[in-house]
Amino acid sequence: MLLDINDVHFGYQNEVELLQGFSLHVEQGEFVALLGPSGCGKSTLMNLAAGLLNPLRGGVNFGGHPLHGLNRDVGYMTQGDTLLPWATVAKNITLPLELRGVPKAQREEKLDKAVRLVNLAEHRNKYPSELSGGMKRRALLARSIIYDPPMLLMDEPFGALDAQLREVMHQELLNTVARTGQSVLFITHDISEAILLADRIIVLGGLPLRVLEETEVPFGKDRKLSEVRTTKTYADMEVHLRELLRKADALTKSKQH
Amino acid sequence: MTAPVRPASQAQLSARRRRKAPVRISPARRAVENLVIQIILIGAFLVLWEYASDRWVPKLMVSKPSDIGAQIWKWTLDGTFVRNLWVTVQATALGFLLGAAAGMVLGFLTGAWRRVGEILQPIVTAFYTLPRLALAPLFLLWFGLGMEFRVMFSATIVFFLVYYNTYFGVREVSQELIAAVRIMGANPLQVALRVIVPSALVWVAAGLKISVPYALVGVVVAEMLASDEGMGFLLSRGASQFSAAQTFAAIFGLLVVALVVDWLITALTNRALRWKTAGSMQN
Ligand SMILES: Nc1ncnc2c1ncn2[C@@H]1O[C@H](COP(=O)(O)OP(=O)(O)O)[C@@H](O)[C@H]1O
Ligand SMILES: [Mg+2]
Repeated sequence: MLLDINDVHFGYQNEVELLQGFSLHVEQGEFVALLGPSGCGKSTLMNLAAGLLNPLRGGVNFGGHPLHGLNRDVGYMTQGDTLLPWATVAKNITLPLELRGVPKAQREEKLDKAVRLVNLAEHRNKYPSELSGGMKRRALLARSIIYDPPMLLMDEPFGALDAQLREVMHQELLNTVARTGQSVLFITHDISEAILLADRIIVLGGLPLRVLEETEVPFGKDRKLSEVRTTKTYADMEVHLRELLRKADALTKSKQH
Repeated sequence: MTAPVRPASQAQLSARRRRKAPVRISPARRAVENLVIQIILIGAFLVLWEYASDRWVPKLMVSKPSDIGAQIWKWTLDGTFVRNLWVTVQATALGFLLGAAAGMVLGFLTGAWRRVGEILQPIVTAFYTLPRLALAPLFLLWFGLGMEFRVMFSATIVFFLVYYNTYFGVREVSQELIAAVRIMGANPLQVALRVIVPSALVWVAAGLKISVPYALVGVVVAEMLASDEGMGFLLSRGASQFSAAQTFAAIFGLLVVALVVDWLITALTNRALRWKTAGSMQN
């Protein structure tokens, strides 16, 4: 097991404990989507996995070891534009390697591979202000995988993109992780995004947070999204999850105030 | 509390570039035309002034351009200008450097470390509300009539401007970005040097830019209050001797300094922030 969040308690200062004995497990190579209404605690869960927050009680294990402090064996990609605006695409993508003291020759080699993987090879010398929204997302994806972390933590990474661009990014993300074999913990409140991408969907809701349902998605690793979208299974799952998410929403809201 | 000076945003910058005037005459031609019109306007004003002096308005109060020109010429030749300008520029530069350095350091510390900010920020704000002129007698007592007084007086003005801009610049840095960079492998020093400082630089630059003229104002005011040298001294001496020509000549000298300083600062900050406009320049 790669990520093992075990019976964790957590709450922000002066607030009701958001997590009271919450557990979450992600296997090597697994793509897990956390689906839930906004404000239910998805990002909090991810920040616990990243070591940005510490549980009040209970433990987080990563790669078989208890996590102390920051988790630097994950790639971390959020909704915001976290590229450094004063650095070129190439400099941005190789930043993690530079910070980790990887020698220059090796950085160049990895950069070559990464920019080809995300289709940014011709744009490597541009500044972020010269990139489109989709290109920025690709650069962020490249930056989070360039040091080969065994797991990607993605918090609504395509939330700000329009529908069309999002579809393109979905297929690219799937192709990328299929090649690298990385696990992904993917946060979204978009139902179709969860079905299209994940091997397993965990629907969350309520306060304290709990798992409302866990669903295996049967499309396999080398799915073609254009085909998946036309299947009956996809349509059925969508209807079912929509109903469930409505419940989760009501459950979370009723407890918050 | 002050509102910090906002740097022009990316969107504003590119919008400014996109909205061009309809193309009828070339921009170069337009610039020349504008310059000619400006010269004509100023020339007309000077002629009017020359004519009006002693006819409509007493010469004692407004002097006249020919007298002022003669005064400027005299001060240029006998070295009065160079000597006093140098004194003023020196004090301005020192006051600016001192105030800016202190403002940046304290702004960074209070912005980056929450606890330090909670403790020091209210104290700084309390001092900020104090009228700066009220410090003059105290500073005179501490530093005497020399250069130190003028430098310190100007530094206190610069300090607050730079402090607030640095503080808000550091606070503006997104927590998301800091978290991402930490997970990538940055230690706290690297986060400070590679993320916080450069992110805040746009704000700091804006603060530095606006505080240069204030540094000059601070020095000139201090020179007018208590000094026997500098452009402020020339100004107040001219007035106390009822010589409007001398006062205007001193103002002219200050104008030249202010323009040169502003041009220098614009050139410098544009250079440091070139990445910010890279996108809009090449599209
Ligand atoms: N830094 C914080 N301090 C206090 N409360 C917070 C903080 N971050 C999030 N919360 C609260 O915790 C709850 C869960 O937040 P979050 O994990 O961001 O939800 P989600 O990602 O599912 O939208 C929300 O009610 C939010 O208001
Ligand atoms: Mg969230």
